[in-house]
Amino acid sequence: MNIWAYIIRRLLYVIPVLLGVCLIIFVLFNMVSPDPTLIMLGKHASLSQMEDLRRELGLDRSWFLQYLDVVKSAFTFEFGRSWSTKQEIIEMIKAGAIPSLTLSVPAFILSTVISIAISLFVAFFRGTFIDKGVVFLCVTMMSISSLAYILFGQWFFAFKLGWFEISGYEFGFPDFAPYVILPVIIWVMLGLGPDVRFYRTIILDEIYQDYVRTARAKGLGEKVIMFKHVLKNAMIPIITYVIIQIPFLILGALLLESFFSIPGLGGITLNAINSSDFPVVKAMTILISVAYILFSVLTDVLYTLVDPRVRLK
Amino acid sequence: MAEKILEIKDLCVEFNTDRGRIRAVNGVNLEVFKGKTLGVVGESGSGKSVTALSVMRLIPSPPGKIARGTIDYRGENLLDIPFDEMRRIRGNKIAMIFQEPMTSLNPVFTVGNQIEEVLELHQTELSKEQRREKAIEMLRLVGIPSPDKRITEYPHQLSGGMRQRVMIAMSLACEPDILIADEPTTALDVTIQAQILELMNKLQKELGMGIIMITHDLGVVAETCDDVAVMYCGQIVERAEVKELFNHPQHPYTKGLIESIPSFDSTTGERKDRLPTIEGMVPSLFDLPDGCNFQDRCDFATDKCRGSEGEPVLKSIGTNHDAACFHPLS
Amino acid sequence: MMKNDAPKKSKSLWQHAFSELTRDKMAMTCLSIVVFYAAIAILSTLGFVGGDWAKEVGPSYAPPSSEFIFGLDIFGRSVFDKMIKGTEVAMSIGLVTAIISMIIGVALGATAGYFGGKVDEFIVWFYTTFTSIPYIMLLVAITFILGKGLVAIYLALGLTSWVNLCRLIRGEVIRHKDREYVHAAAAIGGGDFRKLFKHILPNVLHIVIINFSLQFQTAIKSEVILSFLGLGVQGRPSWGTMIDDAKLELARGVWWQLAAATLAMWIVVLALNILGDALRDALDPKLKGK
Repeated sequence: MNIWAYIIRRLLYVIPVLLGVCLIIFVLFNMVSPDPTLIMLGKHASLSQMEDLRRELGLDRSWFLQYLDVVKSAFTFEFGRSWSTKQEIIEMIKAGAIPSLTLSVPAFILSTVISIAISLFVAFFRGTFIDKGVVFLCVTMMSISSLAYILFGQWFFAFKLGWFEISGYEFGFPDFAPYVILPVIIWVMLGLGPDVRFYRTIILDEIYQDYVRTARAKGLGEKVIMFKHVLKNAMIPIITYVIIQIPFLILGALLLESFFSIPGLGGITLNAINSSDFPVVKAMTILISVAYILFSVLTDVLYTLVDPRVRLK
Repeated sequence: MAEKILEIKDLCVEFNTDRGRIRAVNGVNLEVFKGKTLGVVGESGSGKSVTALSVMRLIPSPPGKIARGTIDYRGENLLDIPFDEMRRIRGNKIAMIFQEPMTSLNPVFTVGNQIEEVLELHQTELSKEQRREKAIEMLRLVGIPSPDKRITEYPHQLSGGMRQRVMIAMSLACEPDILIADEPTTALDVTIQAQILELMNKLQKELGMGIIMITHDLGVVAETCDDVAVMYCGQIVERAEVKELFNHPQHPYTKGLIESIPSFDSTTGERKDRLPTIEGMVPSLFDLPDGCNFQDRCDFATDKCRGSEGEPVLKSIGTNHDAACFHPLS
Repeated sequence: MMKNDAPKKSKSLWQHAFSELTRDKMAMTCLSIVVFYAAIAILSTLGFVGGDWAKEVGPSYAPPSSEFIFGLDIFGRSVFDKMIKGTEVAMSIGLVTAIISMIIGVALGATAGYFGGKVDEFIVWFYTTFTSIPYIMLLVAITFILGKGLVAIYLALGLTSWVNLCRLIRGEVIRHKDREYVHAAAAIGGGDFRKLFKHILPNVLHIVIINFSLQFQTAIKSEVILSFLGLGVQGRPSWGTMIDDAKLELARGVWWQLAAATLAMWIVVLALNILGDALRDALDPKLKGK
């Protein structure tokens, strides 16, 4: 079986998964969630008012047609209008994408690079007190609530010390930079614990392999062994882990954007959640799910390309 | 008398474990001669692999540590020289192949790449093209068919026997003085096993290196070795020229090992009724008895063996034949 | 080869794991911390401690003092008492969530792995679909449906966190299904469920235990996020709502509510994390020596 047949087969599996995602979203938001007209009109709305609104929102149609709408939106990205702001959702998403990405992309790259660097360093000193200390620090950092990091970081570094902007955002480069520095730092801190631990485990898995002993027996130095032999093997799971996180960058950081008033997709989503704005919540859910499904295909395909051992079944 | 190229003197290797410190190798003396094969035989845990890894300074540390002894290679003590110098010897002057051909090659590099890497490291005068040529030549030397094609393949595309051949090609690329083979055929099928041993014998004749053959299999010893050392609980209990050892084993342990080889009776041609085994268990390294380590499994053990006169030491009991036993068999 | 084959979990392996754990001082310390928290939660449920959390005992936002070591909140209530009372919510969320996700994960994973075929395909499709939807959106959707309150949180967190365990159990069951001892059980006439429960599940129990401790602490952390999203517990103190309150308090220099809740949560989550690692080292022989 060649790579193309594999890719096609893998892409075909996207269809049932995508239909399934739409089904779950449909069931959650259209079938079992409380009547949205009640939320929108309040408890004192008359029955005829509710009827009109239901018709306007298309909620009076059969469940099958409503499900088809969800499926359609997953392909066309036509999500309709927000219930609360009445804007076209796709326009809201386009506007929110830029601030989100200015935060999430640098943060993601930085946190990945720093985590991998630290875990290589730690793996080099495996078993020593440096290694044990860093691992303990990681677990310690992971055990603190993420909200505590954000609250403390904003209060201490922006409010108390005044080193960074407390909140807000400006469009355009480099105007946005001062507003995202602190959120980026907090993002990196949040990711450090779990990421270093994960990468370290992967690298150590490789270090104890027999081929490393062979490399030593050849007379290679520890650095060459680490950066050439071990890293190339460890890269396979690392790439998978990194790529599969990318879809979630769309959401930016829900909490960070909200605290720092960055008008990104995370903020939009959060507002939608608070005001029970189902179409927006649905749109964001569909968008990220579609991205996730496509990226998992990409990961699988890349995996077969990077790892010579993978034989396609 | 062939030239002595390696001499291990009084080697002691210790490991720190959760349950305390153990001495995996305890006062081992060995000599390796040019063009000759030294067999080191023993059960798992007898310290034979640790001895081999010590020569390469590949003992994982921590938890392991070479506590005492010297390893002289051409007038230098390998345990004293700086690490960078040791690296120049590894893979170049002293090479090693391992038991697991399936996992000992790096899965994400082609076999050519891995052979060329040794050359790049130790034969810096070679150009890229020359390295490739030499790698192909090495693959041909170890009997891999169409080596110019195989060189671009990844380890997983080769069978276990082929991978071990690649390992041999890699270790011999720099024409080392000494090849350490740590159970090179244990993981292979019997027919492949014979081919690999034959290949090693052939290459030894062509290249003239000394071989240290680490094995638990006396059949392998009989086929390949010139001299044999038998290890038990981290110590050498008997050492002799190979024929002498098989014909006149002096240590009861050696005798037990030889008798437990499945064979046909040479006079009647029938299979022996019952395969004799050595009764009992190897004592734990955490809890070695006083006196001889073999006392509990030995039919001839006396009070002397149980510690009244200390441990038996390895001493000459014939021409080029040593044993560490208070009551040698003949 | 051999080392990739997890040995059959015999009684002696469990005994060995147990003795290893009891010798691990760090793990034992962590276990006693968790037990201590559980005791506080039980005592608080029974009304022995933290019962006075709603009482106004001093001025609004009184800073920490010798009398009230974590100061007072906006209504002059003792932050220390709220922290104690919050233990009840946190521990119950951890426990109930972990139980729910364990039941779903084991049931689906074992079914998929054991029966294979169409059943397996369906369950794999289901969790592939499920994981494609971002976790936080699922949480939000489920709380939309269930409304607010503790039960909604249990269900939302429990229903969204079973996939990892399900995957692991499915994989292990597939590995064990064809083992000789299972065939032997079939030969002496064991039915499917008997086989599954008697011979396969005991061999995957270690995964369940490790996952349980992981799930326990993840749920405690998630409660904070839910509180921030306005979906937290109502009418009683929880660490999540205390931390969430801090977003308005910090600017006034009121840090004690954040500190108390973060500290209380940090200690128990850290203990659970370390305990989880120790359990994994003791129970999963494949990972030994790393």
